[in-house]
Amino acid sequence: MEIGPILSAMWRNRTGSVLVALQIALTLAIVVNSSFLAYERTEFIGRPSGIDEKNIVTITSLGFGSDYDHDATIDADLALLRSLPGVVAATASGHVPMSGSGSATGYRASMEDGAPMENGNYFEFDEQADEALGVNIIEGRGFLPTEIRRSDDPNSERMPEQAIITKALADKLYPDLSTAVGQRLFNNVGESAEIIGVVEHMFGSWVHWQNIEQVVWWPVRRSPPSTYYIIRTQPGQRDSVLTQIEPLLSASNRTRIIRNPQTLEHTIKRNYEGDSAMATVLTIAIGLLMMITGLGIVGLASFTVRQRTKQIGTRRAIGARKRDIIRYFLTENWLMTTIGLVLGTVLTYTLNFQLSQLFDTSRLDPWYLIAGMLALWLLGFLAVSGPARRASLISPAIATRNV
Amino acid sequence: MLRMSKVSRIYRTELIETHALRVLSLNVDAGEFVAVTGPSGSGKTTFLNIAGLLETATNGEYHLDGSDVSRLSDDQRSRIRNEKIGFIFQSFNLIPDLNVFDNVDVPLRYRGFNAKERADRIEHALKQVGLHARMRHLPAQLSGGQQQRVAIARALAGQPAFLLADEPTGNLDSLMARQVMDLLEGINRDGTTIVMVTHDPELARRAHRTVHLLDGQLANPDPFSPPADRAPAAMSTVA
Amino acid sequence: MFFYNLRLARQSLAKQPLLTALMVAAIAVGVGVCMTVTAYLYSISGDPIPNKSDQLFAVRLDGWAGDEPFNDDEPEQAPWQLTHRDAMALLESDVPVRQAAMRKAVYTAVPDNADIAPFLTISRMTANDFFPMFEVPFEFGGPWDDRYDQSAGNVVVLSKKTNDTLFGGENSVGRQVRFGDERFTVAGVLAEWAPKVLFYDVNNGPLNPVEDVFMPYQITAEREVDGSGNTNCWKDERIDTYWDLLQSECIYVQFWAELPDEQSVQRYQAWLDAYTDGQRDLGRFERPNNNQLNTVTDYLKIRQVVGDDELAVWSIAILFLVACLVNTIGLILARFIAKAPVIGLRRALGASRWAIFRQHLVEVGLIGFVGGLFGIGLSYAGLLGLRKLLPDTAALTSLDLTLVLMTVVVAIVAAILAGLYPTWRVCRLQPAMYLKTQ
Repeated sequence: MEIGPILSAMWRNRTGSVLVALQIALTLAIVVNSSFLAYERTEFIGRPSGIDEKNIVTITSLGFGSDYDHDATIDADLALLRSLPGVVAATASGHVPMSGSGSATGYRASMEDGAPMENGNYFEFDEQADEALGVNIIEGRGFLPTEIRRSDDPNSERMPEQAIITKALADKLYPDLSTAVGQRLFNNVGESAEIIGVVEHMFGSWVHWQNIEQVVWWPVRRSPPSTYYIIRTQPGQRDSVLTQIEPLLSASNRTRIIRNPQTLEHTIKRNYEGDSAMATVLTIAIGLLMMITGLGIVGLASFTVRQRTKQIGTRRAIGARKRDIIRYFLTENWLMTTIGLVLGTVLTYTLNFQLSQLFDTSRLDPWYLIAGMLALWLLGFLAVSGPARRASLISPAIATRNV
Repeated sequence: MLRMSKVSRIYRTELIETHALRVLSLNVDAGEFVAVTGPSGSGKTTFLNIAGLLETATNGEYHLDGSDVSRLSDDQRSRIRNEKIGFIFQSFNLIPDLNVFDNVDVPLRYRGFNAKERADRIEHALKQVGLHARMRHLPAQLSGGQQQRVAIARALAGQPAFLLADEPTGNLDSLMARQVMDLLEGINRDGTTIVMVTHDPELARRAHRTVHLLDGQLANPDPFSPPADRAPAAMSTVA
Repeated sequence: MFFYNLRLARQSLAKQPLLTALMVAAIAVGVGVCMTVTAYLYSISGDPIPNKSDQLFAVRLDGWAGDEPFNDDEPEQAPWQLTHRDAMALLESDVPVRQAAMRKAVYTAVPDNADIAPFLTISRMTANDFFPMFEVPFEFGGPWDDRYDQSAGNVVVLSKKTNDTLFGGENSVGRQVRFGDERFTVAGVLAEWAPKVLFYDVNNGPLNPVEDVFMPYQITAEREVDGSGNTNCWKDERIDTYWDLLQSECIYVQFWAELPDEQSVQRYQAWLDAYTDGQRDLGRFERPNNNQLNTVTDYLKIRQVVGDDELAVWSIAILFLVACLVNTIGLILARFIAKAPVIGLRRALGASRWAIFRQHLVEVGLIGFVGGLFGIGLSYAGLLGLRKLLPDTAALTSLDLTLVLMTVVVAIVAAILAGLYPTWRVCRLQPAMYLKTQ
């Protein structure tokens, strides 16, 4: 193919060629980095939480006044909730996982000097917690109803007798043991509890916390006056349960306020809002930029075709076939795109480096670059094919016409 | 009016030097109508470009209306083109998006006249060429001859020292060509100097005298110029 | 001449509607995307209290563990909050003209009118200085009296919304409201007050709404009120009772001081350093003195109210605009080169380079202006979209007049920048080259 003449034609119109190449380069850098960031966020949001997110609703009860009886209220509420058709299990809870609200503290495997301290995000749960969250206890057992400490227990400030922890925390605290079950879990002042079970996997309170998988369960009720309920329903029953519980609980007891009936899915979505907004904004920007770049190429190519009408007619008159004309423009565009992509590769990595330095983003996965290049080659091809086809339709008779 | 002495113009590219004009000397007096003829490649266009201050000469001196214009800045040349020279082109070169009135208006805009002055001049110029009634037409709605007359009106509106015409009838049929030539002659009779570049001997004959270019030089350094019998009373209408 | 050029520009743009549409679209989309992100950042990063943000200081003492900074990533930062003990000690200083220790608590409002269901309120436990210090506007009444701060008296200031719910918006000063088990006397009712950012306490999200009620801080200690908000502890110490918590090294109190001039800032800094030196002698403050006074804007910067994610997206948005501009440069260049014959003619008829330059600058300026108008529309749509994506900030994000003007100015400047090179190119054209048709 006539690369030589095309190159020299491009050289004569180097400003135009440079602009197209520069635009391709910028587009590549932006598109690749944006899609990388966007995909990272999407992956982050999509991390498996271990919890049956889709079938859970949560609700808050907040007591007030001197008539309020915390334990009696929770007993009655749980009996009511567990009796509802469609409800699989319900637990009273100190916090809701992935809600942004919770408590964490340091835990150790022993009180010896130098024993490492690990962060654990702790939840007050009852015997139905595993069922209510839809998580698996892979070692040991869950809590027994008798183990759950009521809020009026005189020892309520002390550490409970039993604890359940997640595998992630167990692996950190007891890395050399085949199971953490039977081990003792110490807090920072030396109190300890027996680990009776290990949860395969679950997320704690804060979706952006690096130790989100390190969770501790205590068999206690949250101190008065408030508590959450986590209610897991059969598939398809969630929304009907959600609409029932608020009026039912409100009517059952006037010494408290029932607030915020919510699907867990919604709560999680709210907590990932910033991340999903970022992914969405970047995705829209990618689409718009591809569109602008594509239309820009169409515009410039149409312009070139119009400028060269006479030249194209002359080529046709001296024997160029339609496909030769098309091929000429496709090759020219391919060359400009490719030069742009080479430049763009440098730009992409520069931008990625700057972003990672300034804003602590991660380093680029080269597959994104390759995908971006393929996309821009395709875009360039599609954009120029229309004008190229129009060029091929120029009549050879133009050559003899004195325009 | 126009005095070129030993003007030359050399185009250089990486490989070759082209001597488009070689040591050309030429005087045109006020009120003259001079035809510059020659075959293609003889340097007519270069002469026209230099005479019209569209290009500068490589060497030599050029005096226009009494002042040396050979070494002026781009802005100064723009100003002289605007005020002293009226161009008439073979292909009319009207701006297709602008109507007749606005086309004639173009040079006046750059002159900085106020709106009233411009309107007066445009109307006057269009009356001169007989297209007063077509002020709001677009060029495409006019015949070739009419378009060229608009171009002449545009050249006249600024009341230039001289008109520079480049094959003014080259794109016209013979009837229209004659009308245009009659018009130019009339303008010349009213006192405007005209230099016309053409390859057509018929046209050249209607001028007071003819200068023939060949290979960038005058072919007949004319010792009798200007012919006394056809010279009009020397006068200038330039303000 | 400007209007002549404007007319020429209009005609020229109308002549090639497709190319014009492309240029306008490139500018509009570039500016629209860029300004959407900018407007968002502008909304959340603006100075929430511009009149005196440089006189209000977040007070931070570094009493964290000796062997470990509060924040490993930024060890130079003192902890965000104070211990109760230190906050009470700081209140003894007479350097600040106003000061407030504060934290959040949750109260259930129980209306006397049985028709209104009890509802949950977030209470800011603070001092009466809070209101004049942060220029909080009152609809009725005013801050409670000094003696209630000393004696933990049951007084309350209601937000406008709370007063609307409880008293239908009437002047409720002097009336009683039940919160939980206790009755409080209304000292004042706020007028509408919604600072851009909840700058005085960003611990639970800078974009949270202002609290529903305000009460004296001392109530928390006297009545053992459980606070809400963040509590961070480092020391291995037993905390079994409320008293333990009050005496602990756990931090959960925000502290603000108003210092009107540089001299008082220095005096206060010295006072704080002397205080922590004294505490160190008593065995507290294991770390060297790192007592920090941050103005509102500095504090928001340190707390990264505008985070890295936002800034990364912003820089991409700016690059996006650049890419759109490069696109526009190409199109403008193509367009102007196509006009070369007419430009040559104008030059022949006496237009100076400057005149041609101006004419085409007006043309690209017009492209920018039209692009800017569409850009406003796009930014507006973009912000509506962002409100959907980020409901928390919905109330903050709006296109005010500044942003609208900025959008148009950015678009025009961008278009002129994009047009500068093509315009320069057409000015350099040799007029003679385009006058012959052959």
